[in-house]
Amino acid sequence: MTLQIELNGVNKYYGAFHALKDINLAIEEGTFVALVGPSGCGKSTLLRSLAGLEKISTGEMKIAGQRMNDVPPRKRDVAMVFQSYALYPHMTVEENLTYSLRIRGVKKAEARKAAEEVAATTGLSHLMKRYPRELSGGQRQRVAMSRAIIRHPKAFLFDEPLSNLDAALRVHMRKEIRALHDRLHATSVYVTHDQIEAMTMADHVVVMRDGVIEQQGRPLDLYDRPANRFVAGFIGSPAMNFIPAIVGEGGADAILDFGRTRARLSLAARLAPGLSVTVGIRPEHVRIVAAGEGAFDIPVGIVESTGSATYVTAATQPELTVVETGRGEVKGGDVIGLAIDPQQLHLFEVDTGKRIEGEGGRANLRFLPRAAPHPAAATFSPL
Amino acid sequence: MSDTFRNRLMFAVALVLAAIYLFPLYWMYTTALKTGSAMFATPPKFLPSDPQWNIYADVWQSRNMGRYLWNSLVIAFGAVSLIAVLGVGCAYVLARYRNVWVEIGLFLILMLQVLPASLMVTPIFVGFSQFGLLDTPRFAVILAIAAKSMPFFVVLVRATFMSVPMELEEAALVDGNSRIGAFFNIVLPLARNGILVSAILIFMQAFGEFVYSKSMIQAVELQPASVGLNSFMGPNTNEWNNIMAYATIYVTPILAAFVLLQRRIVSGLTSGALK
Repeated sequence: MTLQIELNGVNKYYGAFHALKDINLAIEEGTFVALVGPSGCGKSTLLRSLAGLEKISTGEMKIAGQRMNDVPPRKRDVAMVFQSYALYPHMTVEENLTYSLRIRGVKKAEARKAAEEVAATTGLSHLMKRYPRELSGGQRQRVAMSRAIIRHPKAFLFDEPLSNLDAALRVHMRKEIRALHDRLHATSVYVTHDQIEAMTMADHVVVMRDGVIEQQGRPLDLYDRPANRFVAGFIGSPAMNFIPAIVGEGGADAILDFGRTRARLSLAARLAPGLSVTVGIRPEHVRIVAAGEGAFDIPVGIVESTGSATYVTAATQPELTVVETGRGEVKGGDVIGLAIDPQQLHLFEVDTGKRIEGEGGRANLRFLPRAAPHPAAATFSPL
Repeated sequence: MSDTFRNRLMFAVALVLAAIYLFPLYWMYTTALKTGSAMFATPPKFLPSDPQWNIYADVWQSRNMGRYLWNSLVIAFGAVSLIAVLGVGCAYVLARYRNVWVEIGLFLILMLQVLPASLMVTPIFVGFSQFGLLDTPRFAVILAIAAKSMPFFVVLVRATFMSVPMELEEAALVDGNSRIGAFFNIVLPLARNGILVSAILIFMQAFGEFVYSKSMIQAVELQPASVGLNSFMGPNTNEWNNIMAYATIYVTPILAAFVLLQRRIVSGLTSGALK
């Protein structure tokens, strides 16, 4: 496999604003890469730099082995799908599709044939004579995709292409885009703020924040071993619970602080006594058991049911959310026990947010059989 | 006061105001058709009892209106072409770049709009005569009108360009076009309506322009219709019916064009304001 896109020490400044900070990225040919992060994290800037719509300030950018720093967009041979689709309103679907070919001097009949072939695969054949304003959102989206496909570019760049669609269509188009990628095997860079899109579609996920790549890797690696608290909170839905804890006197255990109750857990590796840490617990990694039978008990605050899953939010500070598949019998005000697989826990430094690694690559934590009761626990716990 | 009553009252007020505003126009049309005695009758008659329809042909012949209107057309088309060619590029740049210099440029352009023609005409006249531009007086007037009306055009067309999303241009760039190609293939076709409407407004202004033409064009055979109408009137004028017939011939085509294009003009003017 050869590298299709290479970024070495790329920086981008807008005046005094440092939009991209020392970005290093290597994308192999045929990979589907997702750039994900909250708005303003620099993911769109990075994509636009790849397209040539923004000029990088320092560093080196290569596409298919060629240095692209100063190459104008039209000579980069990349195709871009815009968030607003950017279909040319004064051209029919067919003219939209063949525009890039006509600029390159492809003969009219040939361009039309190419357009028909692409339209057949994307289901647009019957819409070729329509104008963009006469199409539905999903159809416009397909035109934007087809316009990119028709050129057989070196790379596809997607700028939040699904964010203007309604939820059901978005899920459908997600699969379509991924299927398309599997068919064409073209290198794709996909910008999204939706971590579900990134997780489900991409081979390689790049999480960005404030112009910095926080972590990159395979989707499930990011889910299983987030490098820091930000990535841990960003990947996964509903979001991971973060509970402050303090390392106990011996340095071998930590006390979780839920405000009105506490739970003690032992640590695999010894840490400095009194050190503050953050414990990360994914909602789906907690099981609801009868009070007194789990690692610790917790009062139930809000119960939300989607039919397929039940979201239980504990009335603790900080809140702790638990997801149970199916329909639980838990009601608000109940006291429930929580069983937590220590293998599924994550530990982060409080100051830097960095992951604290235990043995075997995991925060190898174990809850003691019985949590030490907090003095105030008596107010809700039937101990 | 109920809503329907208020609406009716407002409508009545609007009608009265429109009637007052349009009365001179009506008076122009009726006076043109009146006989000499009917013109000065007291109380005045609101409809001519004996309409003189052949007055139009007479005035056209006697005042040589064909030549005047031709000169007006030459000046108006010249000014519009010059403004369109120079102004479109200017408006595009002002629409696409945002920095301090663009702000300053825009401010200066708007300042130009503030200065009235009667104030500018003296320095322009002196300058043009120095450059020998007064030897081609119609061209001199075209230049002066272009300078006067350009800001108006630029501000209107800039709004039109700003309503064309930047992403369309970027899509064209990624699709393989150059900046110039993207401008002509994508931006210009989409801004066409706004540019046309602005050009029509400029044309109407230039067609009726008086101050520059009056002061710069001495030769009668080069004067536009506005100056021709003015030379019709003297301190002891009493042939008001002929003057009104002249004005009718002069104004009616513009009026008709405005009525026909009215809807497009209004939508063109507001297209930049709303999404």
